[in-house]
Amino acid sequence: MKNKQVTFMLVGLSFLLMLGFSAQALAGETYPIALSLAITGPTSDVGSPYSKGVEDYCKYVNDEKLLGDDKLECFIRDDGYKTEVTKRNFEDFLDEKIVFYLNYSTGSTMAMRKDFDEEKIPTLPASFHAGNLVDSTYVFLPISSYSSQAVGLAEYVAANHKGSGKPKVALFLHPSAFGRAPRDDVKKAIAAGLNIDLVEIVEHGKDLDNTAMLQRFKSKGVQYVISQTVQPPVATMLKGAQSLGMIAKTYGEAGKITFLGCHYAGGPDLIGLAGSAAENYYWTTSYKLMTAPGPGTDAQLALAKRYGRDEKVAQSQNYTNGIMVVQVAVEAMRRAKTKGKKVTRASLYEEMLAMNGYNAFYPLTTVGPVTFSKTDREGVDTLQLYVAKDGVFHELGLPFASEYVKKIK
Amino acid sequence: MAENRWLATGNFFTSYRAEQRIFLTNIDRLVFTCFLLLLFVWPLVFEVSNKYMLVIDTILIAIVAVYGLNLLTGFAGLISIGHAAFVGVGAYTLATFARILGSDHVLLTHYWPLMILLAGGVGAVIGAIVGLPSLRLKHLYLVIATLSFQMIFQWTINFSRFYDQGQTIAIGRVFWFAGKVTRKQHYFFWYYVILLVVVVLGFAVRNLLRSKHGRCLVAVRDNDRAADAMGIHPGFTKVYAFALSGFFAGVAGALHAYLWRGVGFESFTLHHSISYLAMAIVGGLGTLVGSFFGPVAILMLELQVENIAEFVGHYFTAIGDVATAFRPLSFGLVIVLFLMFEPRGIANWWRITRTYFKLWPFRY
Amino acid sequence: MSYFFQLVTSGIVVGSIYALSALGFVLIYKSSRVLNIAHGQIIASGAFITYALTVWMGIHIAVSFILSMIITFFLAMSVERVFLRRLIGEPIISVIMVTIGLMSIIDGIIYMTPFGSENFSFPEFLPKVPISFWGISISWTQMVGVVITFIMIGAFTWFFKASTVGISMRAVSDDQFASMSIGISVPKVFGLAWATAGLSAAAAGGIIGNITGLNFDVLHSFGIIVFPVVIVGGLDSIFGAVVAGIIMGLIQQFASGYLDGKWGLNGTADVLPYIILLIILLIKPHGLFGIHEIERV
Repeated sequence: MKNKQVTFMLVGLSFLLMLGFSAQALAGETYPIALSLAITGPTSDVGSPYSKGVEDYCKYVNDEKLLGDDKLECFIRDDGYKTEVTKRNFEDFLDEKIVFYLNYSTGSTMAMRKDFDEEKIPTLPASFHAGNLVDSTYVFLPISSYSSQAVGLAEYVAANHKGSGKPKVALFLHPSAFGRAPRDDVKKAIAAGLNIDLVEIVEHGKDLDNTAMLQRFKSKGVQYVISQTVQPPVATMLKGAQSLGMIAKTYGEAGKITFLGCHYAGGPDLIGLAGSAAENYYWTTSYKLMTAPGPGTDAQLALAKRYGRDEKVAQSQNYTNGIMVVQVAVEAMRRAKTKGKKVTRASLYEEMLAMNGYNAFYPLTTVGPVTFSKTDREGVDTLQLYVAKDGVFHELGLPFASEYVKKIK
Repeated sequence: MAENRWLATGNFFTSYRAEQRIFLTNIDRLVFTCFLLLLFVWPLVFEVSNKYMLVIDTILIAIVAVYGLNLLTGFAGLISIGHAAFVGVGAYTLATFARILGSDHVLLTHYWPLMILLAGGVGAVIGAIVGLPSLRLKHLYLVIATLSFQMIFQWTINFSRFYDQGQTIAIGRVFWFAGKVTRKQHYFFWYYVILLVVVVLGFAVRNLLRSKHGRCLVAVRDNDRAADAMGIHPGFTKVYAFALSGFFAGVAGALHAYLWRGVGFESFTLHHSISYLAMAIVGGLGTLVGSFFGPVAILMLELQVENIAEFVGHYFTAIGDVATAFRPLSFGLVIVLFLMFEPRGIANWWRITRTYFKLWPFRY
Repeated sequence: MSYFFQLVTSGIVVGSIYALSALGFVLIYKSSRVLNIAHGQIIASGAFITYALTVWMGIHIAVSFILSMIITFFLAMSVERVFLRRLIGEPIISVIMVTIGLMSIIDGIIYMTPFGSENFSFPEFLPKVPISFWGISISWTQMVGVVITFIMIGAFTWFFKASTVGISMRAVSDDQFASMSIGISVPKVFGLAWATAGLSAAAAGGIIGNITGLNFDVLHSFGIIVFPVVIVGGLDSIFGAVVAGIIMGLIQQFASGYLDGKWGLNGTADVLPYIILLIILLIKPHGLFGIHEIERV
């Protein structure tokens, strides 16, 4: 017994004392950038393809020498959706002298806004919460904020409503800062004259059964449900609605419900979860989708293939999301280099702010140009509406921009 | 006192007083003082990166919280899986002030030692209230009652507009004699503050356990009916244990809020409660030194695993999922292995090592 | 009024699925006095095994449902053998903590598979048109879930009442030493308790997976969600689990049906069970149907 104990003790101690490995590849000038995100834990279904997008594109930049002789060094670290770990990672990244930072969750972006400002480091989060921009100067949103997305969808509802009277709308939100982001802005847009009737705002829990909620919607005459949450609850709701025969076959079908959703409340993965219940689901994002062929999507599929990703990853809009944020960072670096400036936080920040007008950046992976300026730190301002038909999301109409969001600002 | 106060080769106590001494020998005291000095001096000598300073600060805060949990679970035998919620109570006490008065109000930035104490007090009051079910509930049913508190706390924060529905509420930078604590000094400054708190509270716990107020906890743990027969009120003692534990947690929460410069509900979830419990167990339940070893071991392990996972992921990109799976896997394995092979925790290794040196060159 | 009855129906449906999930806790606690916090993870594993068999191996879902129950039966048994056998007689906190450790280990293992971070959904095999009567509707998936739940619960009740093994399990829960002395192998009974719990978890996982789709976060959180059910029912009563499951299902449905959206309240379905739990425990410290233990000094 004594011996066993001693062995166990030694094994434990040696593990604790083992020094951290650090693997560093040194070659010419390297620009370190970093990403901290949730590869495990909550929202890992989003984080996992996102991190692969970042990783692959970083490799691609180095392999194709997009930055000339200079190299991009990319630190990716899992934080398990915990703000503390994110902050610790960030402090660590600062020691690595990173020039550009990619963040992930709404919670950590909101919590670390001040740190970004103090460190003067340009930051692109995966959270499109408009609140990220309040009281901060160095946070940029890659695409339109959740508010723009939700208000944009509401506008679409108002413009395309078929029946008589105001369209009755319900919001289905995630119970967190992330989910509640568009709530007040939708209300403001209605106050500013948006012609919809907001009947109910539901923050969902971990419900197994949404029958009651759906029946309530029906009895109140709700015809449209706009979701701002993650995919699993939407899938549960859609499955419930399908079994109740409530999903509208065509847009705005009377007596039925048309379901719409923002960026994280949809995508090919939702079809994976909800199966045929996702049929006729309307979804908006600023990213190009793999199911809509074009130069951007070809490039993405080629990239995924090149680095051995499976189809599910290649098709995910969050893989695109990850690629796009690195594209923006690399573009800023290239611009700084062409102008003969040293690539530093300050020069990258300047270049980010100069991305507008003729200097807007067209990354191919989005439906519109990325534009940033001192007053507008939302990247792609246009949104694309997609609709699920036969298990695939198809483009519907042309990219559009929300008008009321500008009005309520 | 006839015996040699420098060396003790055996148990030669002639009075209860002697047995209750904090330091059994002067050597113990000397070593301890040197170690303490070392703790205070080393950051001045070595340059430490912010990340590691942050990690060290976090460990120290966890030690404060685990003091409380150890008193509750280790000494009084009341298992709590709601400890993170108590820590949250402390942090949200500060957040309440920040919401009402603004994050940079003088009360928060200049009178922070007072605020830390106040947070501890609020923690104690809430602790006593949450401890009330322990008058009737026992064992697993009590465990679940603390779980309920955890859930109710999370829900309250997450859905109340006052607390910004769980979003981070900022707390301003504090001032001290030399003016505002800047970003560069931040982790450094809080290292000393938290270290001081750890030392002071550590002595407090040690002294508590020497008094009847500490011994009554152990009596109730071992058998509450027998304790009752000896004139200790078991119900009152349990509530008192919860209040004590709430105080430590509250202090830890306030320190957490200041160190992270904000309070967000994500830092006080069930997952953290489980982490605290793991720290207490790995360290050694019912021992004071365990409260130090547990947090160090668990948080260092987390860090090392992260490094290894990254290292593995760097070279075997194809099995990236294996690298991410590493963290929960190792956390779980450490807990399970400890419970299976060393249920008394690292504190027991400490005891073995100490005995070895004390008896050296003899084996027993 | 039909809204009310809809809530009642949904509550009973959801509640019986809770009961099935809670069954696993009760089965383990009943014989070995262990609260298995990793139960949610076992539920998730059951669901994933069913999916893997159905979709990747192409077995019919009904067959793979049963197969997965059998696989989980042995998995849970080996978990008991490896991790918990050593801890017989250790204090309750150690045992709870081991199951918490187990939770992390299973998490880690699942993260190694695609199920950890990707979403899947079962192929649809039931009619999509709901069962409707008097303005109330239940989906076929839920209906089948309820039927399976009650079959399982009925089977377990019979098992404990009438079969020799079941009776010996009850004997062990009553007094370990006495049952040992009449020739019951206590370790075997513990293994069997875990195995049957695994079996019920796989069934619960299959049903929940069909309702929500397969997302690891959603599935394993069930282990925590059903705690109030287990405790309110009394840790060692199957009947209690059923009653408490249905009570909690109803409470949740009424909470989200009548409370949410009013007075600024939201998500009450997540917290109300815990509040009710506290109140019930204060009145009846061993749950509604739990056995009151007699303590001796």
